[in-house]
Amino acid sequence: MNLMGSNRELLLVHRNMGKVSLDHRVNVMLTPQFYTMKKEELPIKYLYQAKKIAPSLFDGLLDEQGNYEYFVFKEEDKWIFIAYNPEEIKEFLKLKGIFGEYLSKIFFVQQIQHAFVQPIALSDKEVLMTIDGVVVLVPRTVLSGELQTAIFDESFTPKSGVTLHGNGNALISKKEMIVLSSLFIVFASVFFIEGWQYSRSMKVQKKEMQELLEAYPALQSKMQRESISFKYRTINNTERKKRDTIKTLAAMIFKGVTLTAYHMDEKHFKATFTCDNTKTAAKVEALAKKSNFKVTSAKGSNIVVIEGNV
Amino acid sequence: MNLNHYRNELIVGLSFILVLIAFFYKNTQVSSQAEQLFAMKQEVRDFKEIIAYKKIWGDKGLSKKIDKLQTVVPSSKVRWSKKGKKLTARYVGLTPKELNKIMTKLMSLAIQITELDIAKSGENYNMECKCKW
Repeated sequence: MNLMGSNRELLLVHRNMGKVSLDHRVNVMLTPQFYTMKKEELPIKYLYQAKKIAPSLFDGLLDEQGNYEYFVFKEEDKWIFIAYNPEEIKEFLKLKGIFGEYLSKIFFVQQIQHAFVQPIALSDKEVLMTIDGVVVLVPRTVLSGELQTAIFDESFTPKSGVTLHGNGNALISKKEMIVLSSLFIVFASVFFIEGWQYSRSMKVQKKEMQELLEAYPALQSKMQRESISFKYRTINNTERKKRDTIKTLAAMIFKGVTLTAYHMDEKHFKATFTCDNTKTAAKVEALAKKSNFKVTSAKGSNIVVIEGNV
Repeated sequence: MNLNHYRNELIVGLSFILVLIAFFYKNTQVSSQAEQLFAMKQEVRDFKEIIAYKKIWGDKGLSKKIDKLQTVVPSSKVRWSKKGKKLTARYVGLTPKELNKIMTKLMSLAIQITELDIAKSGENYNMECKCKW
């Protein structure tokens, strides 16, 4: 299946052509009878810029009722602007037996103007040839008798052409096809990657677990692991709490405060502070309360006793 | 039937089928492995946690490290009793600076403090510490 549509039979379409009967797709080359052309030397660098200004160049030149599209290309240092009416072309092609389903690409003779230096006969009366860089239809009579005509074939196919929208019975246009299939491919890639990552991370985890079991054979039993984990977690929590309590109490020793006694066992602690004055004692008391410790001190006394659980 | 006529529809159709295949592949992977993966991750995490705890609280070099508590102050102020994995250390006449030094050292060691007593005696402190590891 030729998806690109190149190397197809190329038909030269002109107003006086005969009806054709097709059973395969063809490319079509249009004579100047089907388009209006302008050749301009413009300070434009890119094709998209040229395409943007194309409609304005044909202001007043085209039939206002017609729905025109534009084809732009560069020829040496000049821009070639071609305005064509897709509906009109489609109608004409249908009339000549070239139905949408058999139509691949449309080209314009101006695209290969260099190939028409030697005229190409359209009929007994007309030839197609390039005059001053523009392909035009010329009456055969104006040609001198010695000038030989060339044969038109697929070798005249230019690199780029246009596709008429709504060709044949296609439900999806080329543009829609590109957008939809790109979207589907992106989604498919995302799903594939996600699925692959799941299977991969499972393998990674299994491998990691295997390595751990090999490195620590004593921890192979799950029950044993749970028991060890419980033992160490309890030690870790209790000991951290003990150390945090000591740090909190140490922060209460500042100028005017002296630690006179401290006792701590597995469950409980008791610290006695002697302060220089009641004001300092109140400050220590406040700090202890802030840390949720139990404070006992006689009213007016400078001795603060702090208790709590660890 | 000329397939070429339906080229656009064919390409879109094929890419859609590709999406469906990818979607089912992902769903199969997720449904069959999500729970298992979560459980496996949890198990690996727990395993690593045990190793980390063992390294801290089950350090085999602790017996040697703990001896530093004996040398941190002059030996005349220390009464040292180490039996197996248990220690009872009594310190007398510690200056506040020495007490601080011992406490800092004690807190940085991964040992279980079973009992700690500090009492002020005049300007100095007496301390008793019982711990195991």
